[in-house]
Amino acid sequence: MFGLHKRLWAARPVKSSYDAVIIGGGLHGLATAYFLARDHNITNVAVIEKRFIGFGGSGRNTAIVRANQRTQENLPLYKEALDLWPELTRELDFNLMFHNCGNLNLAHSEAALKAMRLQVASAQFLGIDSRLLDPKECKEVVPALDISGRPRYPITGGMYHPPGGIVRHDAVVWGLAKGCSRRGVHIHQGTEVTGIGFEKGKVAWVDTDRGKIRTPRVLNAAGGYSAGIASRLMGLRLPISVLTIQAMVTQPLKPLLHHVVSSGAYHCYANQTLKGEIVTGAHMDPWPNFTTQTTAAYIKHQAEFVTEFLPCLKGAKFMRIWGGLADMTPDMAPIIDGHVPAEGCFLDCGWGYFGFKSSTVTGRYMARYMATGECPEILQPFALKRFQEHRLMGETAALVDYSANN
Amino acid sequence: MAFTITCPICGPRSGYEFRYGGQDKGPRPDPAEMTPETWCDYVHMTDSCPGVQKEWWYHRAGCGIWFTIYRDTTTNLEVSPDSPEAVA
Repeated sequence: MFGLHKRLWAARPVKSSYDAVIIGGGLHGLATAYFLARDHNITNVAVIEKRFIGFGGSGRNTAIVRANQRTQENLPLYKEALDLWPELTRELDFNLMFHNCGNLNLAHSEAALKAMRLQVASAQFLGIDSRLLDPKECKEVVPALDISGRPRYPITGGMYHPPGGIVRHDAVVWGLAKGCSRRGVHIHQGTEVTGIGFEKGKVAWVDTDRGKIRTPRVLNAAGGYSAGIASRLMGLRLPISVLTIQAMVTQPLKPLLHHVVSSGAYHCYANQTLKGEIVTGAHMDPWPNFTTQTTAAYIKHQAEFVTEFLPCLKGAKFMRIWGGLADMTPDMAPIIDGHVPAEGCFLDCGWGYFGFKSSTVTGRYMARYMATGECPEILQPFALKRFQEHRLMGETAALVDYSANN
Repeated sequence: MAFTITCPICGPRSGYEFRYGGQDKGPRPDPAEMTPETWCDYVHMTDSCPGVQKEWWYHRAGCGIWFTIYRDTTTNLEVSPDSPEAVA
């Protein structure tokens, strides 16, 4: 019966030229390819992936989606992203398992509540549902919470964001790959980009270990590896620091958490998957490394901290732990740009741990940018030049600093 | 121990005792000849390539010294300054 299932995407020979080459078969790359084909009729596109699609951050994130960030530049992008999941589920004919469970972000001090007031007001101003709750209301939303004075940092309130939730990340990778392949995009897995060639100030070709490809457009969407590709192959240094971020899951438990619960003070978050496992994570060792190694110190940290505000999880056993790469910028906002360092070169990187929730919507606008050559207004604040012009975004709430020179 | 760094005074210690101080980018640019580009490059930009880099560390929970090491960012292991991979 397994033979009845057709492959979702086809393996095709590498052509000698494409209208666009996308480096990185992750969600940002696949989404851009998909929307190039869907919205702009540019189907002669290659997605070049060194390993296999979804190998990097696309398959390692904890699948949380939300639109309650901090700045007016970021919020509209994430709002649109939330609206896209149901649309894509229908259109790709692939269940992305969008579980619209809502997110509850806990505050443990007056200062944190004050910061939340600003965040809630920003969200509401842009028409996003986000509300401030007192501890009792938090407990009504998530009955498992300990709102007593027992924890080291008692809960003083929370920011409740009903439109957020969970999306099955692998399904998005597979669904988009299927959509791409049906529209004629070539997905070349196990193919490494080894060089980028320029002619008369324009991008002209890409060298791969399966031959040279001529193309007028190249998108660098290689996630944790994008900054290295930029500096090695494009001659463009970026303000990016690549760190390993870790996450883990417990054994499956009976349903007890129906929301994503997160805490800045404890620096962790938790949600329960449809299988019953508690997914929890957030920690990064604050020095650049590409190891994706997991650490014992972090398992201990996580067990201690998650059981502070969810004491019922005491005794639950961790089953799996894994690491992925987060490409951090000094202002926790991405770098999206075009025609740097040469005409035809596009950048979509520096997403840190926001890459999953933003992937599809960024792909849609990046496709427009690549097709028309003009940067859509919504992407303009993310240009690389902001660092030179001292216009860094206020996305970081200064709790942690993961910038390159932290 | 997940990650060890050799402090020039205290010897090999747990990496968690230290604070990372960024890639060693050489001397600060001369203010007389500084442009927004050179300053931005010095302050923000890094190579971010997987492999060996020269970097600053501060022994925060120890003797308090600032020093540089060569480290392979794909393994978290220190590399001797005499080894051929150790180019700044």
